[in-house]
Amino acid sequence: MLSPRQRQDKNVRATDLDALSCRSSANRKGYFNPPDVYIDELIISYNKHLQFCSGYTNLSASRTLRSVFNEQKFPLINRGTYLRTKVLYDLVSSFCKEFAACQIISLGGGSDTKSFQWLENIESVRVIEIDFVESVKIKKLAILNSPKLSKVVGQTSDESVIISSHQSFESLDPEFHADRYHLIGCDLREIKEKSVSDNLYKCIDTSLPTLVLSECVLCYLSPEENKMILNNFSEAFLNKAYLSFLIYEPMSLNDTFGTTMTNNLSNRGLNLYTFDHLPDLTSRYKFMHDECCIPNVKLTDMSTVAGYEGIKEGFKPWIDDADLLRINKLELVDEIEEIKLLFRHYCLCYAELPYGDKHFRSLEAYHWRI
Amino acid sequence: MLNLDQTIENIKECKHIPEEDVEEICKKVIELLIEEANIQHVDTPVTVCGDIHGQLHDLLTLFKTGGECPGTRYLFLGDFVDRGFYSFESLLLLLALKVRYPDRIVLIRGNHESRQITTVYGFYDECIRKYGSVNVWRYCCDVFDYLSLGAVVGGPGGVFCIHGGLSPDIDSVDQIRFLDRKQEVPHEGGMCDLLWSDPEDVPGWAISPRGAGFLFGENEVRRFLHTNNISLIARAHQLVMEGYREMFDSTLVTVWSAPNYCYRCGNIASVLSLDDSLARDYKVFEASTHSATTIPSKNPPADYFI
Repeated sequence: MLSPRQRQDKNVRATDLDALSCRSSANRKGYFNPPDVYIDELIISYNKHLQFCSGYTNLSASRTLRSVFNEQKFPLINRGTYLRTKVLYDLVSSFCKEFAACQIISLGGGSDTKSFQWLENIESVRVIEIDFVESVKIKKLAILNSPKLSKVVGQTSDESVIISSHQSFESLDPEFHADRYHLIGCDLREIKEKSVSDNLYKCIDTSLPTLVLSECVLCYLSPEENKMILNNFSEAFLNKAYLSFLIYEPMSLNDTFGTTMTNNLSNRGLNLYTFDHLPDLTSRYKFMHDECCIPNVKLTDMSTVAGYEGIKEGFKPWIDDADLLRINKLELVDEIEEIKLLFRHYCLCYAELPYGDKHFRSLEAYHWRI
Repeated sequence: MLNLDQTIENIKECKHIPEEDVEEICKKVIELLIEEANIQHVDTPVTVCGDIHGQLHDLLTLFKTGGECPGTRYLFLGDFVDRGFYSFESLLLLLALKVRYPDRIVLIRGNHESRQITTVYGFYDECIRKYGSVNVWRYCCDVFDYLSLGAVVGGPGGVFCIHGGLSPDIDSVDQIRFLDRKQEVPHEGGMCDLLWSDPEDVPGWAISPRGAGFLFGENEVRRFLHTNNISLIARAHQLVMEGYREMFDSTLVTVWSAPNYCYRCGNIASVLSLDDSLARDYKVFEASTHSATTIPSKNPPADYFI
């Protein structure tokens, strides 16, 4: 039997499957240009190994996978998945270009493939991915068993790793280390514990300009845990190097859409702990700036980023017209109001702790609401 | 033999309707629709309804709010199917009512009443899931091709009713009467625009972000009203959080009849009652509390980015 916390954790880990199936769907529909060649490698790993994760059996794993991957996604989900991926990928890439030798720490990225693309396209970048132990194992097994992935992380081996039981999955080391790429399994809520922290920071280079990326991760933690995690990184880099956070999260806006979202997700066993405390961009600014003591905080929402709203107020979309035109042609979208409503409830936040005169200059090129 | 009254009750209770009955209802509806003009003339009083999108339990609330059919005369502005979990039942209920009370209910076509759109937005999959074959989907799509494109309520000086909006190719209601409507909704041209366009705060015409139809501004609305001796355009097609929204000095209204759209949007819904003097009475209603428990727990849709 799983405890309530274990059940919530299992549901949070399962959000990775959902996100992966959305990326896979958008990829199949031609949104990603060029197509993402790594997504299928992660799906293969899930197909083989989900059954060995805690709380799953062979039967329940295959049922879960079938229902997640066989379901057709609506165009608005494909579009939103693409826009979010594209915007975050581009912003981080421009960070890497500006800082040259730098480091990306991805929190709770699960089976996200952006890290592999950064490794492939940006020579001087180090990538550290931190997630729940089981999610890390799925990714590690994907890398070990996929020539494509082993090649891109720069560590090839002829031996494939066969996992055939809960036990062998359980005993797999939840870490993977290559020259420029580290995968570490830990529970972020325990980041203050010495053993967890020691293990983490032996892979993190605190002398490099660093961007910490968090997509739909911190929303599942309490505001106190959020603050604790952000502070932990801030302290580690204090007086050593530039540090910034790039955060993509849902927010409630205290309206009926937000309330319905809270209810719908709680029916799926997901609690959004930041919803009440951080309902909108203003409260998030205060939280990041005043409570987490981060001096430079920029915020906007995805509807503005994608050009669905805000153009009349002078906010320029982050996606160029040609690309918007291209994706508009891929699928007919039946309801623009719904897109605006949904996208408006997702915020994008860039918060930086400058080091000396170092700060992310290209940031000014993007239009932020705050 | 089809027992229509019993079938209507069965549909309301979401009971399985035999495929032969579906086929018969569709055939009978086509016999009625084939006689209808592209632009139907509708008498007052009438209650105008916007998008339904397969939210059967909310459709039942709609009938409670506006009065049951045939007691109240209804005009539905399309988008009966897709998105919701009960597209098939919602459509079949409206078709069965049409067969039973042909003079008390008018159905016009929305952009979702199309083969292409229903394969993307759920109705096709729902038919396959519920009947194991494409047959009922095919019967329904045949009906779609015969649906009227619009209606005028109350004669000269009356209300022009359409699913989407205006078209740069169409200046007058009479031009619509000459369209050949009995086809799949085309990707462009007048018929497409009527079902896809949206009013917007733009000068003249603009490209629609939906990928079909146009955005049209206040001047285009004024010109159309003047040319055709119309006092109001009533349309659906766009989610409105408050259930309805009047624009352009109350010369156009959007009516939206799917509360808590997609079980997610948190909006309220409305219907528009027009009396003999065309006075407007908006009746708003909220999502059926029933619907929360009737969302099939299997395969919850990927509603959010999580």
